[in-house]
Amino acid sequence: MNPLQPFYNMKIGIVDLSASNAEVVPLTEEQLGRYLGGAALNAAVHAQHQADSLIFGTGPLTGSFAPASPLMIATFTSSIFKRVCHVPLMLRTGPDMKFSGVDFLVVKGTAPEPSVVHVDHGKIRILPAPPILNMPVPEAIRELKKTSPPFQSLIITGPAADRGSSSASVSIGTNGSLDKAGLATLMAAKSLKGIMLGGTDGLPFNKDNPAQGKELEKIISTDKNFKRRGFYAVLKNLEGGKDAVKSLKAERKKDMACYHCPSPCMTHVIFSWHDPGNSEMKNSEEGLLLLDHTGYAALAKKAGKNTLPLLRACLHCGLDPTAVAEMLPQGETLPDYLNAIDKIVSDNATRTQDVSQRQGIFGGGVPPIGTDDLFEKRVALAMVLGVCPIFLLRFPQITDAALLSFISTREEDLKALQERLSSAVASL
Amino acid sequence: MMKQETTQKPMAEQDFSLNLEDLRPRPKEKKHLSEYFMPRRHSFIIFHPDRCTGCGACEMICSTRNVEKVAPVSASVKVVRDQKEGKNFSILCQHCRKPLCLPACPTRAIEKGDDGIVRIDKLFCTECGLCTMACPAAAPIKDPGSQEIHKCDLCEGDPLCVKHCPENALTFTRGKAVRWIKGLRWTSQLISFLLLVMVFVGTFCYFRTGSVSFACPTGTLQNIASSGTIVLVGVSSALALLILTVLAGRLFCGWVCPFGFVLDVVDKITPRKIGWPSFLKSRMTKYGVLAGAVGGSYALGFQVFCTVCPIGTLCRSYGVQSFFRSAELAIVPVLASLEIAQRRSWCRYFCPVGAVLGLTALLRMIKIVIGAKKCKKFSCIQCAEVCPVGIIDADKLREGLSPKIPMTECIMCMRCVDRCPYSAAKIRFRWQRATPGEGRI
Repeated sequence: MNPLQPFYNMKIGIVDLSASNAEVVPLTEEQLGRYLGGAALNAAVHAQHQADSLIFGTGPLTGSFAPASPLMIATFTSSIFKRVCHVPLMLRTGPDMKFSGVDFLVVKGTAPEPSVVHVDHGKIRILPAPPILNMPVPEAIRELKKTSPPFQSLIITGPAADRGSSSASVSIGTNGSLDKAGLATLMAAKSLKGIMLGGTDGLPFNKDNPAQGKELEKIISTDKNFKRRGFYAVLKNLEGGKDAVKSLKAERKKDMACYHCPSPCMTHVIFSWHDPGNSEMKNSEEGLLLLDHTGYAALAKKAGKNTLPLLRACLHCGLDPTAVAEMLPQGETLPDYLNAIDKIVSDNATRTQDVSQRQGIFGGGVPPIGTDDLFEKRVALAMVLGVCPIFLLRFPQITDAALLSFISTREEDLKALQERLSSAVASL
Repeated sequence: MMKQETTQKPMAEQDFSLNLEDLRPRPKEKKHLSEYFMPRRHSFIIFHPDRCTGCGACEMICSTRNVEKVAPVSASVKVVRDQKEGKNFSILCQHCRKPLCLPACPTRAIEKGDDGIVRIDKLFCTECGLCTMACPAAAPIKDPGSQEIHKCDLCEGDPLCVKHCPENALTFTRGKAVRWIKGLRWTSQLISFLLLVMVFVGTFCYFRTGSVSFACPTGTLQNIASSGTIVLVGVSSALALLILTVLAGRLFCGWVCPFGFVLDVVDKITPRKIGWPSFLKSRMTKYGVLAGAVGGSYALGFQVFCTVCPIGTLCRSYGVQSFFRSAELAIVPVLASLEIAQRRSWCRYFCPVGAVLGLTALLRMIKIVIGAKKCKKFSCIQCAEVCPVGIIDADKLREGLSPKIPMTECIMCMRCVDRCPYSAAKIRFRWQRATPGEGRI
């Protein structure tokens, strides 16, 4: 038996938006055997379809008891980097995709009208989107919850993408994402407003996995990075991160983790703010989940103490904070900044983002931790296996062998898996 | 041969239907004698919202036990993430003392075992989902896939979710085993009664040996009012009880007061209460009685209340001679009869000694808090049931709030601390953080 089988539903969903048609085809053992899954298999599937196709995929360890296994990878040809990019989507999207009954989702063509895709119980439905175009992300989600079938996870585009902005970024729920490669722009071009994942099924994985997960947790618990947790710990190590942390200090905060992550790198902050455009509004408390380290650092460099209200505005509009930071002037007041963001959304301003190629391959949002060589290897490994790349970058002692042991502990299986993993990682 | 006559009805007319009672008789609520001395251990899981990062490890591992695969929607524990507030909550069966899901189940598939664990018998469950609606914590969860009802059974005493939580946000406790405070309090009350009433007769009102003296603070106040002079020795004598109250709250009322002991005994004899009319239920009355006693003493020139004080009467009426001289002792059964209306009625509404101690308790150094994290609120309410002076707000508990305890009224009997199976009621210094205590978690 293929050791990878308990880790997958062995199903690929193919959505043809032009024909409003969706089907589920089996994932062959040959495909799995060659690429293992994740970004490597995504790239192979992408190569089989049209250049404008969009592939959402999961790795073998996505949703499993391997630590930090929340990853879904979106693969597409980026209009910004002019190459095939793999954007990591975290929180619970990956597991919810698997628990919805498909492992990979291919989105082809362009819908005649704005649509949403709903996946659950291994069935895919293309539904007309309710009138949520140009609506701020939280309001659009509220509307979707009212009118659509229930879902656990949602990938949605905001008003920036609806207006064709190249600075748009997809949002996982209301929390934003690490998309800096134009995934939202491509989704908007396909008239695909969102992907809803029902997540009401499950997968058996391996029976030994819970114990193995605990063992791995024990190993990393002695690492200094394990105690330095939360958004701040990662932000501090970035360029200009220390100054960015200063703008966060006064806020109430709580560390949050993605699916099965023992060392959280996100922080929920509550800040009080006053919308200058709304004279009737008094100071109100606003909550934000900070997950985009590079985006925050870039925005903080420009906006200083106004970073959190600006980030809120970016998330509401579905904008990439890094791109917005590039376009904002230095040292303005909050009302000026908010007006500038409105202008970016409505004027479809051209993006002048400066993201290095090494980050660009992986969507531009993974914080550059470690040396270039280490970064590429670790992120590629994470993208193939479906484990959080930030987690693997923070804990280099977690080897690929340790991760593969979740799939099988038999020596011959491990040897074969190791070979396949090496070639899959190299293919990225 | 004669044909044998039979009275049996034809098969079609016979009633073969079985009642639910025949299939599954409802278990009778019974309390073993041993439980009075060694109460059942109450196992449960405590959720610490400040530690939870929302990773969902608990849901994962729980689902593997329920459905033998990782399927968070099929787990018996749910993590709810509040995106705006950044708080995580867990939905988890609290194994209530009197579970509401149990009577709601039409097929009696839910039962509470001797170990205190509430379980669903899959054989009898028809997946109607009434239990999910009856439970105030929404703990029984209907699997959206299989439609089965999943509910925490504490993994039969070794919960997997607790073991797998990387942040230790879930902790398992088997509850308290022995109610030792109850025994200690009764012993203290009995000894105090014997000492004050039978050994050191009359010493509660005023007692002096050498340079050490003790006096009832209410009596001292009346003395000052009636005589119009402040005697320093008298005031300092009254300080002992007041200092005790500052240090430990109204400990005297709950642990020492001989009349309080009489009331507790009467309460045991008359468990059913007829209640007070609402217009009489004012705790301020005792302050009025105190003012009346002091004012009356001032006007009449003698200690008015002392003549009818049930504590003083008890303390100075022991012995054959004293007994026959003391017609005033009749006040004791008269006031004790108030116990028929409500527990510790005298202490709640009328006692001027309690009023003086209550005012002194404003300066107290300790307090009783009911921890919001551990308190199971609507599923328990035992603290409110046992409180003899009725200061724990059961309605607040039913609303899901941890009540604030007014320490000026609390007689420090510590019944709530003793009874709480979750160790949520605790004694804390006044300056220690009030929460976990008050408010919604």
